[in-house]
Amino acid sequence: MTAVTADAATVRPPLGRTQAIGWFVVVVGLFTVFGMGVGTGSAPHSTLTFTPIDVSQGAPWHLGNLTLPTEWTLVLLGALIVALGAEVLVRRLVKGAMVRVGLMAIVFLVAVLVWASRQPGPSQVPFINVTAILVGSAAITMILIYGSLSGILCERAGVVNIAIEGQFLGGYLVGEMIDSATNNWLLATVGGVVIGGLMGWLLAFLAIRYLSDQIIVGVVIVTMFTGLASYFNSWVLTPYPNLNNGNIATNLAIPGLMKIPIIGPTFFDETGYFYLMMILVGLVSFALFKTRWGLRVRAVGEHPQAAASVGISVERTRYVNVILGGAVAGVGGVAFAAIQGQFTPSITSGFGYIALAAMIFGRWRPSGAVAACTLFGVSAYLAYNLQSYQVPISTEILLMFPYLITIAVSAGLVGRVRPPAADGIPYSRE
Amino acid sequence: MTPSLRRLWDRYRSASPVTISLLALVLGLVVGAVIIFATTPAILDAWRGAFHSWGGPGHALKVTFDNVGAAYRSIFTGSIVDPPQFWHSVTTGRDWTASLTPLSETFTYAIPLVIASIAVGITFQTGLFNIGANGQAILGGVAGVAVATLVHLPMVLHLPLTLLAGIAGGVVGGAIPGLLKAYTGAHEVIVTLMFNYVASYFMLFCLLSTPLQLPNQTNAISRTMPGGTQLAPLFGTASGLRVNYGVVVALAVTVFALWLLNRSSIGFEFRITGANPHAARASGINARRTLVTSFLISGGLAGLAGVAWVAGTTHYIDQNFLQGSAGIGFTAITVSLLGRNRPIGIVWGSLLFAALEVGGSNMQANTGIPYDLATVIQSAIVIFVATPVLVKEIFRLRALRAESVKVATAGWGS
Repeated sequence: MTAVTADAATVRPPLGRTQAIGWFVVVVGLFTVFGMGVGTGSAPHSTLTFTPIDVSQGAPWHLGNLTLPTEWTLVLLGALIVALGAEVLVRRLVKGAMVRVGLMAIVFLVAVLVWASRQPGPSQVPFINVTAILVGSAAITMILIYGSLSGILCERAGVVNIAIEGQFLGGYLVGEMIDSATNNWLLATVGGVVIGGLMGWLLAFLAIRYLSDQIIVGVVIVTMFTGLASYFNSWVLTPYPNLNNGNIATNLAIPGLMKIPIIGPTFFDETGYFYLMMILVGLVSFALFKTRWGLRVRAVGEHPQAAASVGISVERTRYVNVILGGAVAGVGGVAFAAIQGQFTPSITSGFGYIALAAMIFGRWRPSGAVAACTLFGVSAYLAYNLQSYQVPISTEILLMFPYLITIAVSAGLVGRVRPPAADGIPYSRE
Repeated sequence: MTPSLRRLWDRYRSASPVTISLLALVLGLVVGAVIIFATTPAILDAWRGAFHSWGGPGHALKVTFDNVGAAYRSIFTGSIVDPPQFWHSVTTGRDWTASLTPLSETFTYAIPLVIASIAVGITFQTGLFNIGANGQAILGGVAGVAVATLVHLPMVLHLPLTLLAGIAGGVVGGAIPGLLKAYTGAHEVIVTLMFNYVASYFMLFCLLSTPLQLPNQTNAISRTMPGGTQLAPLFGTASGLRVNYGVVVALAVTVFALWLLNRSSIGFEFRITGANPHAARASGINARRTLVTSFLISGGLAGLAGVAWVAGTTHYIDQNFLQGSAGIGFTAITVSLLGRNRPIGIVWGSLLFAALEVGGSNMQANTGIPYDLATVIQSAIVIFVATPVLVKEIFRLRALRAESVKVATAGWGS
């Protein structure tokens, strides 16, 4: 952002923040040991199962159940978290601190599950289905990764794409309508590419040609498409319900690989959008960091004047990338429709913004974004499904979690991330 | 042309901010018309067979104009005045309620919009984005209803206390992004966007929990605010007009904002920081304090907007309070941009956007076209206002005197 806050961040000794993070992790670990672990009562146990709930063709090889003593498992997991925090404190990790926080979050989530599913206990569900959790999380993670990739493509070229939420919504609506009309997800995907690309073009047109403030234009585009989607929903989809019949895409299982327990159902028994996402992650990584094109894009995002002086067209590069980014987010919207079904207004519930936060958390790199999206995806899935374990927290509070985690993460990032230098700054030749 | 007309023409061609805003309104309505054209079955059917017969295109054109005309006519009659109805009242002296309801509704909707937009405008002037006005307004509404329904006091104290509670709720909502940005560097756009969702769930939680929920209910609905804590109708309950003393609150907020931004030293620091953070820092302005103060004031006003809406119109909140298209946070951003972040401009912008919303509901009732079209028109207007060069090119205006909406922002990061 502005130099004022940047200065403020550098003036502060970075060690204090690291220590704060370290102590925070330690406290979470101690809570796990003493708050949840010690004294769970008359020797309860928790059971893990690995059989997926529904598979398209044939189940993976069977794994038996794993029964653990709840108390000792929690103490162990808590000790692991304390160790992570202690490592941050003792080794004074500055760079690796956030990675430890991510690990802490995952271990803590596992601990919550173990605690919530203990038997005898209040839970109606007497086991934890590890595979089902991973499959469900993978779906949310996939959506977020599409959004993050879109953000990376735009911001590496120096344009902030805050309209991802709107592009999700546009892709969802168009994809759902096309699939309902033609029963063809391929056409729906093309529709998503077109609508997302168009929305990207609109952002690029206003931001590049007219040097408008990118965040403002992005927010207004989201507002506009939220209104438009709602308008469409009541004016077109309600009278023609056959344009919104809510089919979901069938899974394309990869023979052989899908038989592997846990991993198979999570990664190799998915919709085509999941495989497309994996390909896109590789493609964007490779293109941005290993090709001449990527070098040029990054040059435009870091120092457009310098890029222009060696003959790169800043405007064209930015146009291409923002349109590409929009198209990727549009496909993300279609993928959303392919796993969620029927369109309703506000169905994207802020996922576009969470994807943006994940992109920042992942330091504008596809690999980092994948890690961050996984963290967000797992926590969002658990927040939506933890109610079935009768945890003594009300549903509404649980549903806040994905958003609270996003806020906490963006607060913990300070001075640790550096955006592309020209990110968000309009470029004019004069 | 007479000299005075020529001067008017020249003024038009010189692209003053007012010209740009008016032309943006025209362009926004054009966008709306195009959307109606492309999505209304009657119009599309008329055009489908239009080129098979003589007179077909003429008929199709007529159908188009009839439909679009009916839509825009009901926006006007629903939000400002219905001329035949008004004439009826003037000549017979009766049915004034029906004649004045459109204006009353527009002002009623403008009350929270003015307050929330000024809240957003103050942060814009400081170079900050408060996209969380909706969440802060929700907290304000919840806090206001809590104080109104759970505390028992004489009215003289109770109403002010209710409004203060609303402000306090909003301040809490504004403090979170402000403090996080100042002390950890978290970008306020992400924090406020996420906070909107947190606030919505928090409201739902409160509405389903014992003290606030209407007794013997399973739905998410609050108790009703007692009469002493409501903002009474301006012309008495008997008038049947919903416009209420919230107008006075909104006016007071406008005066406060004018004083704050133009006369007070805090406001001066806000504007300096917004215009040039380097210069502000160099001249000894405490950047962190300015940032937090701006967010606290903005949050407080957004909270006031929330409580003013509940106390003035519905008197209770349910799960739909400021949700979806009823939310005012995003509209407030667009209004603030339309009014160039200045209080007086914001008042005009709020009246226009409130009229569009009220008229949109009337349009839906009369023609079936969903009122969400109003949101689309509003956003289109703001896109044009935010890119004056585009408007200038479309209408071939001469020089551009209107500076574009200036907000100091750039990417993310620290």
